[in-house]
Formats: sequence, C-alpha cells, structure tokens
Amino acid sequence: MLRAMSHPSDVVFDPAAAYPDIPVLTAALARRDWSACRALLDSVSPADRTSLIRTAGDEKDLEGFLREVLRKDPRDGAASALLGFHLIYLGWEIRTAAWAKDVTPEQWAGFRDHLCQAEQALIDASAYDRSDAAVWTARLLAARGLSLGSAESRRRYDRLSAAVPHHLPGQMELAWGLEPKWFGSWEELHEFARDSALAAPPGSPHGLLLAEAFFARYTTADNDAERGSLLHDQRMRNDLYRVAEHSVLHPEFRRDYGWVRAANTFAAYFALVQDQPNTARMFGVLGNLAVADPWSHQEADAAVRIRQARTWAFGGAR
Amino acid sequence: MIRLTEVDGIPAVVARTGGPTHAGLVFRVGIADEPLARRGITHLVEHLVLGRPSAGHHRNGATGVEHTYFHTQGTADEITAFLEGVCAVLRDPPADRIAEAAEALHAESAGRGRDRLPMWRYGARDFGMASYPEWGLDRITGEDLHDWIGRFFTRENAALWVAGDGPAESLRLDLRSGVRQAPPAPSAAPPGAPAWFAGDSDMVGWDTVVRREARAAVFANVLERQMFRDLRLRGGISDQVRTEYEPRAAGSARITAYADSLPGRREAVLGGMVDVLAGMRAGRIDDEDVATVVGLTCDGLKHAESRGGRLPGQAFNLLAGRGVQGIGEVLAEVRAVTAADVAEVAADAYREGLLMTPEGTAADWAGYAAAPVSSGPVVSGRAYRGRKDRALRLIHGDEGVSVITGDATATVRYDTCAALLAWPDGGRHLVGEDAIVAKVEPTLFRGAEEVVRDLDQRFPGALRVVMPARDPSAVPAPVAGRPWWRRET
Repeated sequence: MLRAMSHPSDVVFDPAAAYPDIPVLTAALARRDWSACRALLDSVSPADRTSLIRTAGDEKDLEGFLREVLRKDPRDGAASALLGFHLIYLGWEIRTAAWAKDVTPEQWAGFRDHLCQAEQALIDASAYDRSDAAVWTARLLAARGLSLGSAESRRRYDRLSAAVPHHLPGQMELAWGLEPKWFGSWEELHEFARDSALAAPPGSPHGLLLAEAFFARYTTADNDAERGSLLHDQRMRNDLYRVAEHSVLHPEFRRDYGWVRAANTFAAYFALVQDQPNTARMFGVLGNLAVADPWSHQEADAAVRIRQARTWAFGGAR
Repeated sequence: MIRLTEVDGIPAVVARTGGPTHAGLVFRVGIADEPLARRGITHLVEHLVLGRPSAGHHRNGATGVEHTYFHTQGTADEITAFLEGVCAVLRDPPADRIAEAAEALHAESAGRGRDRLPMWRYGARDFGMASYPEWGLDRITGEDLHDWIGRFFTRENAALWVAGDGPAESLRLDLRSGVRQAPPAPSAAPPGAPAWFAGDSDMVGWDTVVRREARAAVFANVLERQMFRDLRLRGGISDQVRTEYEPRAAGSARITAYADSLPGRREAVLGGMVDVLAGMRAGRIDDEDVATVVGLTCDGLKHAESRGGRLPGQAFNLLAGRGVQGIGEVLAEVRAVTAADVAEVAADAYREGLLMTPEGTAADWAGYAAAPVSSGPVVSGRAYRGRKDRALRLIHGDEGVSVITGDATATVRYDTCAALLAWPDGGRHLVGEDAIVAKVEPTLFRGAEEVVRDLDQRFPGALRVVMPARDPSAVPAPVAGRPWWRRET
C-alpha cells in the first residue's frame, strides 16, 4: 500500500492495493485489538476471511497473543485458524525453503514440532465447529507439511466443500498438493482445477485454478520441446478457454477474492498463446494491478514483462 | 423378575421367561488370569469339558477375559444332565485328551485376528493376555490342569443361572472346594495417555478404560453412530465400523472402537477417527443420537429380560459380590443418561485413550504420545556383535538381556520375564512383562550360542514356551547395516 502510494506506478504488486482489508487487519493485530480483528473478519465473505487470516499468519510474534485469546474463548475459530497459519509459517521459517536434503535434523524437528502444534490447535477448532472454512484450509496446508497423505488431504477437502462449497483458498491449497512433487499428478491436478472452475458460479475467479495449474506444469517443464507440446496441446487449450469463458471472460466476472490473480494469470496465458484481444481484455480488467507469478519470480523482472505484454496487447510492438 | 437361590452352596439367579429354558454355570476365571507361558489353559479346560459337539443338543461355552462359562438349552432333565456332566469332567479331567484338545484349539485359532491394543496398554500380563496366542497349550500336563481347575473351577468361584422354572430339586453341582478368586488387577497403563502405536493392518483401533456405568455404555454406542456417519456415510473411507462396551468385574469398563479402511484410504480413516474423538471430547454430542441409543438400549434390555438374556450378566455380578439388579432399576439408569453425561464420559475416555494407527502411519501430529517401543536401561554384561550389521548388539548379563538395533533398545530382565520362546533352530525370544521382546537370534550375533545355552539353563521350566519349527525363510538372516560413516537420510 505504502509502496503503491508513494511511488505511483503502472505495475502495482502490493496485494493491499486490491484488498485494502489486509492493512486494516494487520494494524488491528499490531495493536493487539482482537475485537477489531473479529469485527472485520466476521463482516467479509468466507473466501476473504480465509485469505485475510492466511496473509496475517505471516505477521511476527502472534503466538502468545492468540493463545491468550483462545484461553478466554477456545471456540474462537478465527483465532484458531490464525494461530494455525502462524505456527505453520513459523515452522517453515525454521525449515527454510531449502531442498529437503539440505535441511538439518534440528530444522526438521523444529518444523515438525510447529506443524504438530498448529494441527492440534486446528483439530480443537474443527471439533468445536466443523464448518469453519479457514480452519479446514489451514488443515489442508498442515496436512501437506506433515505428509499426512493424499487420502487425508482429500478427506479434509471434502469436509471443507461440504461446509462451504467452492471455497477458492482451500481449492488452491488442495491444488498445490495435487502437483506431482507432493502427492498427485499433472492429470489429477488438471481435472480437479478444470472441474472446480466449471462448477463454480459463472463469473467467479475460480478459473485461476486451471490457469495456475497450467503454469505450474509449464514452468517446471524440462525443455522447449515439452513446453511447446504443452502449448499446442489441443485439449489443454480447449479446457483453458472453456474455463476462461466461465470465469475471467464471463460478462459477470466479479471482483471477488482471487480476481487479480485470475485475470493476471490469464493475461500471461493469453499473451503466451498470442491471443491479443483477450490479453488486452485482461489488462483492461486489471488496470495497474498485477501479481509477479507467473511472469517471473522477481518483481522487477515481472514488471518489465508485464509492460511489454501490455504494450503489445494494446496495439504496440512487442 | 430375577430371584436369587442356591444350589449346593453355589449362588444362582433364576427367572421365569417366555423363551426356551436354558441354564449356565460360570466361573470367575479367564485369560486375564493366565500366565503367558500357560496361555490357553482356560480355553483348554472349556474344550475338555464340552468335548465334541453332539448333534441335536444345544451346548456351548466361552472363555472370556475374566469369566468362563458353560451353557445349555433344553428340557429340565437335559439341563440337569448337562450341568452334572460339566461338574463330573471338572472333578476328573481327562488328561489323556489334552494333546488332542490342544491340536483342535490350534486349528481353531489359526487365522484368528489379534487384538493388539491390550498388550500395548497392559503388557504381557493380566488384561494384556488377550493379545497373545495360546502359547501354553503344548506344554500343559495333567498336573497343570488339575492345579488350574483346583484354583479356579471350584464351588466357591462359581455361579449358576437358570431361565425357566428353576433348577431341578435333584440337581447336584459336585465341584471341588476352593476360594473365590478376586478379579485380576489391571497393571499400569502406558504413560502419558492419550497414546498411540502403529498397528500392522489397514485398520484404525482405539480403546479406553472408564467407570462402568450406563452412560459409558451409551457413549460407546453414540461413538459408533458418529463413526458410521463420518467414516462411512459422509466420508466413504471405511466399510466397517464398530464399537464395543465390555464391563469388567472390578467396576471399570473397556470401550473399543475399530474402523477398517477402503483401499488407499488409511490416512483418511486415521484422520477421520482423530476428528471423531476430538469432536466428542469437545462435547459435540448429538442429542438425537443419545435419544436413539437410549431407546435401543432399553428395547434390548426389555427383550433380554423376557428371554433370560440378562441372567448371565447377573450371575457374573454375583461373582463380583454385587447384588441382583432389577430391570426397572437398569432401565431407569439408562433413561436418565443425557448428552451432557455422554460428553463427560467422552472427555474421560479421550484422556485414557490408546490409538492404534493403520500400518505405516503415526498420530504424534494429533497430540497423542508415542507408546514406548523400547525399554529400560541396557543391562551390563558381555556384548555380542551383529553379523554384518555393526549397529546391532546383544548384551548378555546376570540380570537380563538387551538387544540394541540402531536407536531402539529392547531390554528384558530375568526377574520380570513373562516367557522364553524357544525354537528348535536355536532362536530364543525373551518376552518381558511390559511386552517388550528381546530377540536372541544366533544367526544374527557372533557367538550367541552360549547365550542360548545360558538362557536354557535359567528357564528350564514354567516360563519356557516350546515353539514349533520355523520355516527356514522365517529364521532371521544377517543383513548388512548402513555403513557407519554414512549419515541416515
């Protein structure tokens, strides 16, 4: 937010620019004002609530405060979910994102210990209330870190969908797990992403599931030949367009949670397949908002590519 | 209406019922009374008493954890003949039929699944015995049989039930005289309950020990309904779920729960079970479930009352020094159970719970403590090195044996050894009272033959279990361990 305001830019990555509730929540957390946090979280949609809680989980030093909140009211699902996300975040801070072979035994132990603590807070929370979507989403994340297996992740996802259908933050969590590096395969991921996107109400941002699934595969492809065949795979392309028409290209496309990532990822896809009008349409929807992925892992590099694509889409040279 | 009477000094419960007349003679003895090296002796007695099943006559028996009974259905004369026949065999057991009966029991037990929870909770003693095979069968002598019957199958340790007009005037129960045997005292539970251990199947299992009371029985059935909904109907991850409530003589009750898993769903069955238990502990008890279970329980009790089905339980109670409980009192107790009562039991049950996870899974993440898989300090004594595997060590001392494999240690002290299993190929397993097994395999350790000789001298008699020859492929062969300089990954 600050960055966006002090340096007006044509490419704005700060998620707070699209979701102004994020700084409101983090400010309330910083002053340890739980009733203000709850007032905000109770007023937004389940997807916004989960996403806000998840984002806030990366704030510093929340554990003591949240445990105190839960001591007073063990049934506070928002506090449990936030504590869960926060402990998982702390676990990953200890583990680091290094390759598994480079993680020391002490790091593994600290990681697992934090994930176990998170899971236990979350088990209690879903024992009190089986319909809290943020809790189930956090439990999907915990299940992956704890290697609880695909059957257990599926069970958690089924519970989540029974409580809150089409819960995009939870769907994105399961989609991660369906990548081959966790417990799934590209085919399973593709099917899940496509079917979930088409099952969501028309105009919702759920198309991003399939667009992100495509880029997850595309960016990890071994060589140009593999990338080329992915790009020209007719079934893949048909599915992506079918999903886009149900989502980002739908006349009723709404600015619900996830819309920036959805339009951004489809902009990248349409640019990749040289579909100029639809790339332009996505940039039109986005304005100056953007997400670095899948353009690049570096924001600076992504900004360059986004500007290039945008110029091309709006009729300039590439 | 159940009335109390006596036959030859043996207390009896009698009720006139609508169904066929039946009667049973129960003794306060069961597998929880057996030492590991005599495991199976009570079942053997039961088998010798009943002999071969005779056509057209309903007669059976059962060897339970704390009680063993003989039961028949028929005319008054048939009942008298059966009960007097039981007493006659117990007076003069046919020692010449032991081997034949043992063989039949071996055949009967082949393929029977093992309930692994008891040994993890209690060790290789008292209530843990239910986990063990009938290892004692092959070494039971006529003298052992005589002693066992003299201790447990006595007039003072028996009770009778009769559904019908009551025992015939002429009935004589000519049993040996002895003393009433108190129910076995359960040994220590695993530390830090709730605890978990990994099972060896697709199944998730759980057991707990609570106070014996109507609301605990209702809890067990409410738990089954919740499991059915979550694991079978809603989850589609399990095909069979069941719970059981087993009252014990001394005033506690064991509750068990099992769920199998559909192919590829074992982690989900575990996760689902963890959530079912946590939900009930948190007090999420469905009022409708409680009402349904209370209704079904009362119907079942009334039906049992009309057929004399409550009589065996009342006879068991007599042996525990409890009075006869009338149906009205029992029904009132069950009807008074509320969802809040069930939630209270659930919280106690959770704390005392022991979870058996499906093979290859763990439950540390759910807040369960690992039940110990290794034991006590390593004994001092002579060390024998593993063949090929440098991480393998056998320590043989004056107090016991330790086997060290990597970071796990199994120590069995001679003074707390429950049995020595001896194979003709030289393999010797010392089973500790805590159920830890120290496996002395001469094929795995250099020079371990002298340890085998020493163990054979130390355990020549009562604790020795002679095992049938193993298939050569079942004898452990040395495997090269990881080179010591390479770290485990």
